[in-house]
Amino acid sequence: MAETLLAVESLSAGYDEALVLHEVGFALAEGETLALLGRNGMGKSTLLATIMGHTRRHAGAIRFAGRDIARIAPHLRARMGLAWVAQEREIFSSLTVTENLTVAARPGAWTVERVYAFFPRLRERRASMGNQLSGGEQQMLAIGRALTTNPRLILLDEPLEGLAPVIAEQIAQAIRRMNREEKLTTILVEQHAQIALGLADQAICLERGRIAYAGAAAALANDLATLDRLVGVRKEGARAISR
Amino acid sequence: MAVELLTLLFNGLAYGVLLFLMAIGLSVTMGMMNFVNLAHGAFAMLGGYLGISLTTRAGVPFLAALPLVFVAVGAVGAGIEVTLYRRFYRSPQLTHVLFTIGLTFMAVAGATYVWGSQIAAMRVPDWLIGQTMFLGLQVGSYRLFLLLVGGAIALALVFGLERTRFGAMVRATVDNRRMAQSLGIDVGRVFSLTFALGSGLAGLGGALAVNFLGGIQPAFPLGYLLVYFLIVVTVGGLGSTLGALAAALLLGLADAAAKFYAPVIASFAIYLVMVVLLMWRPHGILGRR
Ligand SMILES: Nc1ncnc2c1ncn2[C@@H]1O[C@H](COP(=O)(O)OP(=O)(O)O)[C@@H](O)[C@H]1O
Ligand SMILES: [Mg+2]
Repeated sequence: MAETLLAVESLSAGYDEALVLHEVGFALAEGETLALLGRNGMGKSTLLATIMGHTRRHAGAIRFAGRDIARIAPHLRARMGLAWVAQEREIFSSLTVTENLTVAARPGAWTVERVYAFFPRLRERRASMGNQLSGGEQQMLAIGRALTTNPRLILLDEPLEGLAPVIAEQIAQAIRRMNREEKLTTILVEQHAQIALGLADQAICLERGRIAYAGAAAALANDLATLDRLVGVRKEGARAISR
Repeated sequence: MAVELLTLLFNGLAYGVLLFLMAIGLSVTMGMMNFVNLAHGAFAMLGGYLGISLTTRAGVPFLAALPLVFVAVGAVGAGIEVTLYRRFYRSPQLTHVLFTIGLTFMAVAGATYVWGSQIAAMRVPDWLIGQTMFLGLQVGSYRLFLLLVGGAIALALVFGLERTRFGAMVRATVDNRRMAQSLGIDVGRVFSLTFALGSGLAGLGGALAVNFLGGIQPAFPLGYLLVYFLIVVTVGGLGSTLGALAAALLLGLADAAAKFYAPVIASFAIYLVMVVLLMWRPHGILGRR
């Protein structure tokens, strides 16, 4: 068993006084991928934002690489090896594609060149400004930008959302390569549950800010009753994308 | 007629460059932290008085005094940011307004105490007095100097912001502070440095303005200066350097033209131009938000 990279312990957090997450706990080993599932509004994005340090934490601990990071600033968490691909992508619109990749790059295996080899489409758009990109290009750039910080853990918030099937398939392939070939530890939030479970080792489901299921991804993928209850049955077309 | 127009253009641009130097820091720092710093004009005033003291009392040559003023006012700006402003970034903007207006009044009172309430003028070298021929045009030597020096600094600034990694960090932070932080950018440090740079430039602009305006008074940061800065920021678009440059040049030209052709309604005409521009582009001519 690999070493635990991230351990979240009875974490309660939210926005100002309003609690969104209630006593959430889970652990993730180095090299593993965790699917984070749940219906809309259940707190998935809030959990990622809390790990990054952007919400108000009321209680609980977040241990990353053996250190409690719950009180340290987001930019220091990033420098410790956390990277976040936000649901809205949040590309810097007044930076070019290349600048988006270099502005916060840190030394390591993921260079700008390597990101361009990973997403050739980005190389073609390298001189475009961030606000001139299509949804798929923005998503590639958001992932590439996170990669050039050479993280130890990447948080992906609905990376396939709103993309045409062909593009979604490309992104899913890229995530699979990051996980399988690069062994990059990942938390993947996804509405297409079957795709996420196909990519993940473990899964947790959130229901109104609490953990309602935790277990092996493969087991949940076959437990259609639980999936339907916690996530809702998705269009079957989605399944075809990744398998 | 053509000569008149060219002279007008020249004077307007010289004034515009000066306004740009003084106001650019306000635009970038407001765009970055949403911090409304109405005391920005006080940095320009401090620069003006420091320039006067250095050249007249300490006998420092004019050209050497300018970089000294830039560094000194930049350092004061950094000190104020770290000790005072930093505590207010999460406060509502009304708090910013009240706090920085209060600071401005303190700065005015302080300047009156130290430098007196009379108009103070600066001694400039002889070669900056009188007229010079420039591109076949008879122009004021000091205005030519302003245009060249200010223009060079403005270009360096725009270039630095567009081409350096620090410039990219500044733009990223203005675009999306939370995401910049999440990527490991120390937003607080970027802001402090930007604030220091902006204050230094305001100080430099203030020192350059003394001779252009024919002297300064302690009320300098309260009067039209503040209004003109805010016009540059709003018309240019928050946080947009090129927008601020365009707005400052436009304002300089409009001011020169209005004073020349319609002195009676000159001050009124400027605000009319501003209202029309803002109705046309509410987020500024080059603004994004
Ligand atoms: N910035 C915010 N401020 C206040 N409440 C928020 C904010 N973002 C999300 N919420 C609330 O938190 C809850 C969880 O939202 P979210 O984490 O975005 O869910 P999910 O990602 O699972 O769809 C929702 O009730 C939502 O309205
Ligand atoms: Mg979400």
